[in-house]
Amino acid sequence: MAAAEEKLTKFTEESLVTVPFDVYRYDPAKGGEPRYQRYELRLAPHTPVLTGLLRIRDEIDPTLTLRYSCRSAICGSCAMLVNSKSRLACRTPVGPEVQAHGRIVIDPMRNQPILRDLVVDQQPFWTRYEQMEPHLILDPSKPMPADTPTRMSPAQVERFRDTPRCIACGACYSACPAVEADPGFPGPMALAKLYRFVVDPRDSATQGRLKKIQTSGLWLCLRCHLCTEACPKDVRPSERIRDLKELAVQAQGGTELGSRHAIGFLNNIEERGTLNELKLVRQTAGVGGVLGALPQGLRIWRKKPEITKAPPPIEGIDQVKKIYQALEDKKEGQE
Amino acid sequence: MLQHDVVVVGAGLAGQRAALAAAKAGRDVALVSKLHPLRSHSGAAQGGINAAIGKEDSVETHIYDTVKGSDYLGDQDAIEFFCQQAGPTVIEMEHFGTIFSRGEDGSLARRAFGGAGFPRTIYAADRTGLALLQGIYEHLATETIRMYDEWFLLSIIVRDGRAQGITLFDRKTSKIEGIAAKAVIIATGPFGRMYGRTTNAHSCTGDGVAVAYRAGANLKDMEFVQFHPTALLESSILITEGARGEGGILKNAQGERFMTRYAPHVLDLASRDVVSRAIVTEVKEGRGFPGGYVHLELMHLGKEKIESRLQEICDFSRTYAGIDPVTQPIPVSPAQHYMMGGIGTNMMGETNIPGLYAAGEAACVSLHGANRLGGNSLLETLVFGKQAGLAAAEYATKAGDAMLQPGDLDREAARFQALWNRKDGESPWAIRAELQQTMDKLVGIFRAPEELFDALRAVRRLQERYRNVRVQDQSTTYNIDLSDALEVGNLVDLAEVIVVGAIARTESRGAHTRVDFPTRDDQNWMKHTIARRTPGGPELSYAPVAFTRFEPKERVY
Ligand SMILES: Cc1cc2nc3c(=O)[nH]c(=O)nc-3n(C[C@H](O)[C@H](O)[C@H](O)COP(=O)(O)OP(=O)(O)OC[C@H]3O[C@@H](n4cnc5c(N)ncnc54)[C@H](O)[C@@H]3O)c2cc1C
Ligand code: SF4
Ligand code: SF4
Ligand code: FES
Repeated sequence: MAAAEEKLTKFTEESLVTVPFDVYRYDPAKGGEPRYQRYELRLAPHTPVLTGLLRIRDEIDPTLTLRYSCRSAICGSCAMLVNSKSRLACRTPVGPEVQAHGRIVIDPMRNQPILRDLVVDQQPFWTRYEQMEPHLILDPSKPMPADTPTRMSPAQVERFRDTPRCIACGACYSACPAVEADPGFPGPMALAKLYRFVVDPRDSATQGRLKKIQTSGLWLCLRCHLCTEACPKDVRPSERIRDLKELAVQAQGGTELGSRHAIGFLNNIEERGTLNELKLVRQTAGVGGVLGALPQGLRIWRKKPEITKAPPPIEGIDQVKKIYQALEDKKEGQE
Repeated sequence: MLQHDVVVVGAGLAGQRAALAAAKAGRDVALVSKLHPLRSHSGAAQGGINAAIGKEDSVETHIYDTVKGSDYLGDQDAIEFFCQQAGPTVIEMEHFGTIFSRGEDGSLARRAFGGAGFPRTIYAADRTGLALLQGIYEHLATETIRMYDEWFLLSIIVRDGRAQGITLFDRKTSKIEGIAAKAVIIATGPFGRMYGRTTNAHSCTGDGVAVAYRAGANLKDMEFVQFHPTALLESSILITEGARGEGGILKNAQGERFMTRYAPHVLDLASRDVVSRAIVTEVKEGRGFPGGYVHLELMHLGKEKIESRLQEICDFSRTYAGIDPVTQPIPVSPAQHYMMGGIGTNMMGETNIPGLYAAGEAACVSLHGANRLGGNSLLETLVFGKQAGLAAAEYATKAGDAMLQPGDLDREAARFQALWNRKDGESPWAIRAELQQTMDKLVGIFRAPEELFDALRAVRRLQERYRNVRVQDQSTTYNIDLSDALEVGNLVDLAEVIVVGAIARTESRGAHTRVDFPTRDDQNWMKHTIARRTPGGPELSYAPVAFTRFEPKERVY
């Protein structure tokens, strides 16, 4: 932090708290093992984690590296794990973290190769985004109105929901278990982006987009909502994925593999509040399907062996049921 | 050695628009950016983009407002062209896919902005910059452009009287490379980080401007620095004018609504420079809060209005100042916001060096003159980004092959080695911290001659100390200690130009307020400052302002 900013701080010494940071350090080029390094700072409780990390870098250890730029949750540079959760460092205050965990453990984002310290290689994330063909596809026989903007009602703009707020930070991608389990899954951000183009009245490839995504990973989403929980901009990717599934079913009828999966999913999750993946595959595809899904199942199993065991009901199953109820109510309210 | 027809440095709105134009013209284009393009600072713009497309509005009044806003230092031919292009530019961005906010009838929604005769600012909620950045980036994918994401500009090679390319390094590996190009476009954006109090992102360090200056490009009107009156304490995050537009009021430490003294009619809604000066005066005269700030009160608006209409501001205050604007006043003070100056160009983006172009906040056309109007700079990036792209593409079709020499890279490699090998030098952050303190304290809203001279001495001392700067982090993978060191060197050199220009300009115009020369002096100072680099520091000369139809008048709102 710049000394000039510090000088302006209105907080007195008493309101500061001691913040122990345990920061992940690793330089693959140098070899050796990843380790955590402890740094301690005295900070006002509302100080963003990013400010803390920059002070460490400026005043204690210039070898720490990370990405950052805007410091106001708009450039999407500073996503990382703060006490194991995918967060933007610049909009996570230190106080509540210290209160809940006694310290702040900082790791690089998950699901992306680590380049060094907190910097990951985001290429896989960008590639999946690009695979959604995230640009308007126009029908040459229906050009844009010349010299005038397209008319779009506020209701049509409303249909984008919060997807235009996405800052491509990757927090959702880092939090997503389906990304971890399956390299063929586009990830929450890419799917939210696809939704944004599917509902765009200017785009003429809606049907093609929906058809393509049915077989390119749409149904691999586990509906765990971890992406929505992680998203700092309230884009709510999991809800848009749900919308995409509905649109896909509407467009192509309930014959696709995935829509049967969806029905199986609902029954399944209401029982236990979490997925019994094996049972789900059985419900979706029948016994032959279980065999057919084996390669994917094996991939998942290699990374997460616990997934093939019947999971116990999760903590707070009542809340899960309530969430479902609330979602249903909300949907009805919209119609 | 890499080779392209046109290399664009900077992938904010200006750089992307330039690359798009050059690619559409059929050239082989490279787009270099130290950040992923979507992380560029253009994405932080909230308010909107100006275009006189309403029935009651006209291009003519947009021209007049811009000329008046510039305090008559803007070039009127450029302003005319700029305002004529506004409508088509915004419509084009809409056709590229940008999602703008809409009115009930499905047309583009518009809001009122400071200094404008009509509501002519088109917006996308409170994230217009992000909407435009997404719009152009996603459209760019339909063209073939070679992207160099997270590559950092080191130098522009000028040989045989023309730009021949650039040197740069890959941040992921620290490998130094050269790109030979017939035309080079600089669009590296703002340089507000020479101030501690700035609304700019950490990456706004003026690299391209400093590098062009060292390569012999002229810088124009650098002394004009815009301050925004209401930035959040500590973080300096912008609190938009909207807060006062909704009825927010400013109070000093004695609980007085002090704007009654400075702008009895429009009060808190006076223009940016007036409110900024008022706050600084309150603080200087001892009526600010300790630490030098005032309060922006929203409490009287009620929870519902605050939370619905001022959502972002609520969020910012809670997250970044730890206060709740529903029950507590927001601590604010002015902060550096926008640089009117930059690499001097004409309306085609051409600089004084053949083959070198500039656009966006890094450039100075001059359009904003002594003071920029809100909503005009997003438009500038697109209008003049395109101009530069077209001009560079055309130049590249005619120019002979560009060539770099091995020595061009060796020089940069030696510079890196020196930074790494120094055993007991200065850390980049120590120099930056002192530069920021200097600029905050001595080169602010009110400028006194003795303070400016102090600032010049301080900046020159920092340039001296910078020769001994040291990079402690020895890693070649994403080394931000290294990029910091390079950025600080750029900021220090640009600070010198700003201070020298401010010392020379013995008048007050737009954002430049000299306490010893409180009025505008058209007789002597209706002219652009041009700074050229010499071994002894910037050498100033002056260039005439282009007039077409508006004669200078006193600027009253
Ligand atoms: C908080 C805020 C709000 C604003 N709101 C508005 C508004 O409502 N309306 C309006 O009209 N204007 C607004 N502005 C001003 C406007 O946003 C900027 O002037 C404009 O976006 C600048 O765009 P640019 O393309 O020139 O630069 P930027 O968007 O900053 O892009 C610069 C690019 O250069 C690259 N770069 C920099 N250095 C190097 C290097 N060494 N090597 C390689 N690449 C490099 C960066 O990676 C980046 O891609 C606002 C500014 C701020 C700070
Ligand atoms: S809801 Fe789907 S996309 Fe979101 S985190 Fe879970 S699996 Fe991933
Ligand atoms: S959806 Fe949210 S979490 Fe995911 S990239 Fe976008 S802003 Fe980040
Ligand atoms: S620094 Fe830009 S999002 Fe955190």
